[in-house]
This record gives sequence, C-alpha cells and structure tokens, in this order.
Amino acid sequence: MLELRNVCKRYSGIPAVEDVSFSAQAGEVTGYLGPNGSGKSTTMKMITGLIEMSAGHIYFEGKPVHDDLIAYKRRMGYVPEEPYLYTHLSATEYLTMVAQLRDLPAKQASERIDAMLRIFGLHGDRHASISGYSKGMRQKVLLIAALMHNPQLILLDEPFSGLDVASSLVLRSLIQELAARGKVVLFSSHELDTVERISSRVVILHRGRLVADDSIENLRTLMKLPTLEQIFSQLAVEQDTDAMARQIADLIDA
Amino acid sequence: MHDLIEQLAARLPLDFRILYRQFLLRVIDLETLSIQADVTAFLGQFAGILIMLSLVHATFNYVGYTVFTDAAARFAFCQHMAHYQIATTMLVIGLVTVISWDSTFPDRRDVMVLSPLPLTPRTILLAKLCASTAVLGLAALSLNIASGLMMALLMGAQAGPAWGFIQSLPAWCFTLAAASVFLFGSVLTIQGVTALLLPRRIFLRVSAFLQLAAFGLFLGVYFVQPSLTDPTAMAAPENQLILGSSPSYWFYALFNQLDGSLPREFAWIADRAWIGLTVAVAGAAGSLLFCYVHTMKKTVEQPDLVPGAGGLHWAPAVGNQLQTAVTHFSLRSLTRSRQHRVAFAFYLAIVLGLALSLLRSELERQPEMSLEFVIATFLIILFAVAGLRNVFSLPISLTANWVLRTTQLRPSPDYVAATRRALLVIAAVPAWLLAASLSLHVRPTRQAAFHLAVLALAGCIVTESCLIGFYKVPFTCSYLPGKANIQVTFWGFLIVLLVLIVPCAEFELRALQSPLKSCFMIAALAATLAALFAFNQWSAKDAAIYFEETPEEVITTLGLSV
Repeated sequence: MLELRNVCKRYSGIPAVEDVSFSAQAGEVTGYLGPNGSGKSTTMKMITGLIEMSAGHIYFEGKPVHDDLIAYKRRMGYVPEEPYLYTHLSATEYLTMVAQLRDLPAKQASERIDAMLRIFGLHGDRHASISGYSKGMRQKVLLIAALMHNPQLILLDEPFSGLDVASSLVLRSLIQELAARGKVVLFSSHELDTVERISSRVVILHRGRLVADDSIENLRTLMKLPTLEQIFSQLAVEQDTDAMARQIADLIDA
Repeated sequence: MHDLIEQLAARLPLDFRILYRQFLLRVIDLETLSIQADVTAFLGQFAGILIMLSLVHATFNYVGYTVFTDAAARFAFCQHMAHYQIATTMLVIGLVTVISWDSTFPDRRDVMVLSPLPLTPRTILLAKLCASTAVLGLAALSLNIASGLMMALLMGAQAGPAWGFIQSLPAWCFTLAAASVFLFGSVLTIQGVTALLLPRRIFLRVSAFLQLAAFGLFLGVYFVQPSLTDPTAMAAPENQLILGSSPSYWFYALFNQLDGSLPREFAWIADRAWIGLTVAVAGAAGSLLFCYVHTMKKTVEQPDLVPGAGGLHWAPAVGNQLQTAVTHFSLRSLTRSRQHRVAFAFYLAIVLGLALSLLRSELERQPEMSLEFVIATFLIILFAVAGLRNVFSLPISLTANWVLRTTQLRPSPDYVAATRRALLVIAAVPAWLLAASLSLHVRPTRQAAFHLAVLALAGCIVTESCLIGFYKVPFTCSYLPGKANIQVTFWGFLIVLLVLIVPCAEFELRALQSPLKSCFMIAALAATLAALFAFNQWSAKDAAIYFEETPEEVITTLGLSV
C-alpha cells in the first residue's frame, strides 16, 4: 500500500500542495485527478522522490520511503507527465541504459526490451534516434522503461498522452491487469471516461488540496451525480465552460 | 552613428529584420557556453576578447619592428607577421564557421515554422546569410581593428610613410575579407555538395563528421604548417607543395600582390587565392540557391523518423552495469551532440596537433628519449583527459535527467567509479595508445617501456584529479548562469599542471639513467595515485550525486538591530 500523510509542498512559501493525505491499495487502480496546476504532478514527483516534501510523510508497505530510498526506487516504475527522454539515443540504447541503471541482468533485459518493443510496435524503429519519434512513440518508450523491471508500485502521470486508440486500449487493459496481479497503481489523467472505467477509487485535487477521496460508486451516491465528469466539474471546475467558449469565439470574430 | 544605423535598418523590410534577429541569436549555439547565456553579452565579450588580442598583436608588431634596425630585417619581420595574422584570422573565421556549422542552411525546424508563414525563400535566405556574415564580419573586424592598422602602417612604411599606408590598408582589408569569404564559402560549398550528393539521412550523419574534420583541419594546419615567408624558403623546391596547398600562403601572396611587393615568380601562389575565392563564392552561391529552391521543399516531404543504421550495434561491457551505462551514455552523447562534439574536438585538435608536430620532429632526429618527447606525450594525456572532464560538465538534456534520479539505486562512490571508467575508456586509454604508438621507434626499448609505464600512471593521476568534487553523472548537471569561474578554475588547474610537467619530465629523464631512481619514480607515482583514489572514494561516501548546482547559502545581515 502507498500512503501519503499530510504531504505539503511550498515554493518560496507559496503552497503548491497542502496537507494531502490518501492511500492507494495493492490490487486497485487509483485515479488521481485535478485541473491543470492543481498539484497532481508535484505530488507524483514527491512520491517518486524527484522533489522533496516541505512537510508530511510517504509510506510504502508501511515503511517511510525516505528511510531506504534505494530499496523503494527498485520497486517503483514511473511514467512522467512529459515524454522527456535523451533524444540522441535510440529506443534500444535508452532502454538498455535504464536496464543497466536498474541492474537488470543483461540477457533478461535484452529479451524483455526486445519483446516489449515488438508488442508496442516499435521494433522496426528501435535503432532510430528518439528525436524523430512521435509523442505516442516516446510515451511507449517511457512505459516500457517504467515496467520492464516488474515494479510493485506503478506511478503513471498522464500515461495516455499521445497514444493512438489501439495503444490506449492496450494500456487501459494493461493497467487493470497489473492491478489484478497485486500491484499498486496510481495514475493521473484528464481522460475522465478512462479513469471512470478502470479506477477502483479516485482522488481529486483542487488548488493543491484534496477535495475527494473515495470509490467512484460512493461519490456518485453521495453527490447524486451520474458520471465522474459531472462529479469532477462540480468539485474542481470553477469556470462556466460554455461562456468561456463563447467569449473566445466572440474575440476572434471581433 | 547608432541613430544612422537604426534609420538605415528601418528601411529594410520588417519580415527581414525580424528573421535576421532570430537567426543571429542562433548562429552561435549558446548552450555550448551557458544555459541562460545572453547573445548580446556573448557577442560583446567575444568581440572584446578579439579586440584585446588585436591590441596585443599590434603592440608586438610595433615593438618587434622597432627592435630591428636594418630595412631587410624589418621587412622580413613584417612579412612573417603578415602571414601570421592572415593565418590567425583564417583560423578564427574557420572556428566560427565550424561552431555555426548548420546556421546558414535552413533546418527542419525553420522549414516547419516558416513555411506556413507568408515569407519568400529569398527573404529567409538573405536573413540567414546576413546573420552568419554579421558574426564572421564581427570576428574579422575585431581581430584586426588595431593589428590591421598597425600592419598596414608598418608594411606601408617600407614604401614611404603616407603613400605606402594608403596602398597597404586597402590591400590588407581586401585580403582579410577575401580570406574570410573563401573559408566561409568553402564550408558552404562542401555542405551544399554533400547535401546534393547524399540522401538527407546520410547527409545528417556525414555532416557531423565533416564538421569535426573541418575543426581538426583548421587547428591542425594552423599549428603544424611551417613559416615560409623568407624568399629563399619560398623558392625552395621542397616547399612548393606547402605553398601551393596552404590557403594562408595563397592569401599572404595575394596581399603582397595587391601591395605591389610580390616578386613575379610567386604570382602563381596569389593566382590560387583568386581561383580559390572564385570557386568558393560560386560554390556557396550555387549551394545556397539549390538548398532554398529545392531542398527546403524536399525537407517537408522527408519522413519524421530517420531510420537508424541497421548494421553493427556492438556495445561491449566496460565494467559493471552502471559503469557500462555511464560510459556508453558518455560516448554516445559525445559523438551525437554537436555542441559536445565541437567542445571536445577543441581538445582533440590540440592532442592531434601535438602528436603531429611530435611525429614530424621525431622522424627528423635520433630515436632517443628527449625532453620534448616526454613533455608532448604528457600533454597529450593531460589535454585528452582534462578536456573530456570539462566537456562532461556541459549538460545534454536537463529535462531527461529524471530517469537517472529515479533509477539511482547505488551509493555515490559507484557513480564516481562509473565516471572514472568513462574518463579512462574514452580519453586516457586512447591517448596512452597514441603516445605508445609514437614511442614505437624510441630506442632503447627499455626507456620507451618505462616512459609508457610512467605515462599510464600519470594518466590515472590526471583522471583522479579530475574526479575531485565531481559527484555527478557526465552530461547531466546544470550549472548556474554566470559560473564562468568554472572555466577559470579549469584553465588555472591546467596551467599549474603545465608548469609542473617540465620539472617532472626532467626528473623522468634523469630517472631513466638509474634503475633505483626509476623504481622510486614509479613507486612515488603509484603512491600518489593510490592516495588520490582513496581520497575520492572516501569523500564520495558522504556526497550526494547532484544534477543541478545550488547557489551557495549566504547569510545577509540586514543591520536592523541597534
């Protein structure tokens, strides 16, 4: 189980994440939602250890992750929000480097990389420089890098970004399959429909604070709203979206 | 003057002015120098350094001229300095051209961004060309602003103070402008012809190697070519090949021709300058026109994905998994990133220049161990290792560093060991092998073997010295803007080592005569190496691998208390 207790992050005193507490269970898919700038990616980065918390604690399987960060990182796989890669390397070179950094046995790593590149449809372009890859192809490389060492904790920040329909469907099933095999899966996405389909529970963040943490079923019942989109709109969207659209169109016409 | 320039600039079309400014910012790859570098400040500093160099040259020329009393010696001195300045200007222009390698031809980004806009290829071409020539012009002008005037004065003084100056100054200016245009045009022609002959994906690969080759060629020729300004040397049959193939001598002859002081028998050298200039200008014009008329359209049709080489993908292990990962990453970054390649090529060119000059002098004399040989081989190792360490500090993609941070599964000494391995594999071992091949003809063989053992230990010591305080993965750390003191420290460190090398080399030569001293030297070097190694391992234990430099914490007293 991954557990966050009273986690805060402030930049020069300005809060980005305030007093966030929630847990993600093994065997479940936890959806992590929030509008742009709500602190989702900041929380993800704190969970991965990329940035330090200003306050609070993060536990994985009951132990504070900072007590043995190396052991924690061994068991974690992470797909970041943006597909930032060393673009001067090819997919094979990049993935081999990650495998080496993760100390995977060379033969096992090579076999897994080769097989996963085939499954994700990148095998033909495996020796091409990543700089020429589309966003979707880069996203696939990130997914392979995050999963090839069989992590227990899987953190996915916008994993569907740039993927085509077929790949999105595969990833959707893969996330459910991984959870079914006892992994802890926390993923953030703006695709509410996808989140609604595959998540067991959702955590919603707004302006750095937690505004909901429950199963989708419970939220529907509590808020008396039929869809996650409506729940999300009520909790985290402040603007009148139709009015905004009209305003933009008027501005162009003027 | 500023207002006049502004008024003139305002008459130019707006789209041209905007593009020109944008292209000017991109002529020099600023990331080579600093992540947040400012182009105006950079160009100002660049010009400032060259003007300072020009003042030094001018002073040296004047002092040198006054030292000689007879006319023949003064004339010989002026001729020697004229060639030196032409060669130096050509070197600087050549290096600027290499650094701004891809800036004159539109790249894929230019095509994708500018094609949908209502701009003609002609406007883009002119803006690009003006931006490139502006930087080259700035370099040529700054480097000759004082020394050029002094050279014209001194050369003119041979023919008479006033008339001579009036004749020499335009000749000097034209020669330098022609030499600069020749170099710039030659590079454009080579790029254009290669782009024309090769498919784009192969051209992109070849272009990188051409850039390196040009860099090495400019530096190598500058350092290796002999001075042949004396008429006797110029007339010697064995020197005709050098005179006929070295562009700096072509333009030196051209200057003398324009100045009216070139003997008739050397006119053929000046003719080569005219021919070279014509070919370079025509080739560059053709290449540019072809590129903007044909290649720009083709670029849009090229597939985004350039297939990788389908052949050999041999990547041998060079230690444990982490060491192999860091070494391979370093090697790939070095060979595939233009800015890193150019930065490392600077050091490699010095190494190559040293090796070539050593080879030349060694072949001419007895095969004994000499002080020059010992010093030169030390320098080869020193520049290769210290140069690579300096290039390691330039980040390649800061945004992608997250992967190294989330996979940081080993303690810091392991990362230091991995960086050590990369320095040894990429720089120290190849440099040692180069030195070993140069030592092949040294006799007795025992001396050569002893020197190579010393050199191996010295290479390891330089490697360990470079690792002091270096707790980062190569090519991954951002440095704070304005951290010029890193470069100052680096060069200071290098100068101290250079000063140390001479006594060390002398000691080694003495040690060669006595087995006891030889053993002592090896033991002392091994002990130094062991101490440095232990120090690095010990200090790395408590260090954290860092990916960005943090500013030093400063406590400022506000002085509010009474």
